[in-house]
Amino acid sequence: MTTIAELNKRKTPIVKIDKSLEKYKGKVLFPEKLAKANEVLKKIGLPKIEKK
Amino acid sequence: MKQPKYPLNAEQDLMIFKFVSEGTKGLIPKLIEFTETNLNGFYNLSLGDVDEKTGKINDKVVTNNNDTEKVLATVVGAVYAFTDKYPDAWVYATGSTESRTRLYRIGITKYLDEVKGDFNIFGEINDNWFPFEKGIKYEGFVVQRKITKFVP
Repeated sequence: MTTIAELNKRKTPIVKIDKSLEKYKGKVLFPEKLAKANEVLKKIGLPKIEKK
Repeated sequence: MKQPKYPLNAEQDLMIFKFVSEGTKGLIPKLIEFTETNLNGFYNLSLGDVDEKTGKINDKVVTNNNDTEKVLATVVGAVYAFTDKYPDAWVYATGSTESRTRLYRIGITKYLDEVKGDFNIFGEINDNWFPFEKGIKYEGFVVQRKITKFVP
């Protein structure tokens, strides 16, 4: 049986689906941060990578 | 992740996560939001406190709940969960203040050895991206699950 301690060591945590959070969907909760991210993208784009 | 984390709740698309910080200031609900930017597949990560009386979200408040490491570990866990569902996503994060950006930098540095095998991690300085290195004062950060390789 998996213990709580073992579960806590996993990199990907167990996530409980909470329908009460649906009310936030489609809303931008942090508009200033989003604007900043868009500004960075516009200025410098993405880091350069190549597919393996 | 060996660090203790708070239990995470999320809506079914795993774009919005909620957890409750427990510390010296009591129980403080927090939201993590992944918002898609103008570029498809590029998401902004934000973290803020929820005022349950007003329903408002505040990403500038300094909570001082003495659980910073646990909060950071929980945010890292949310990034794992989000990128498990959206493995091609880029996730950008910067602080709402210089001190919070510093906090993110400290957090990434702390978990770097654990997460660098799973993520490409870049820091932003003077409008350029660089592979993340410890001890450098970046202005923002972007990560992507490691299915790709950096070209210098």
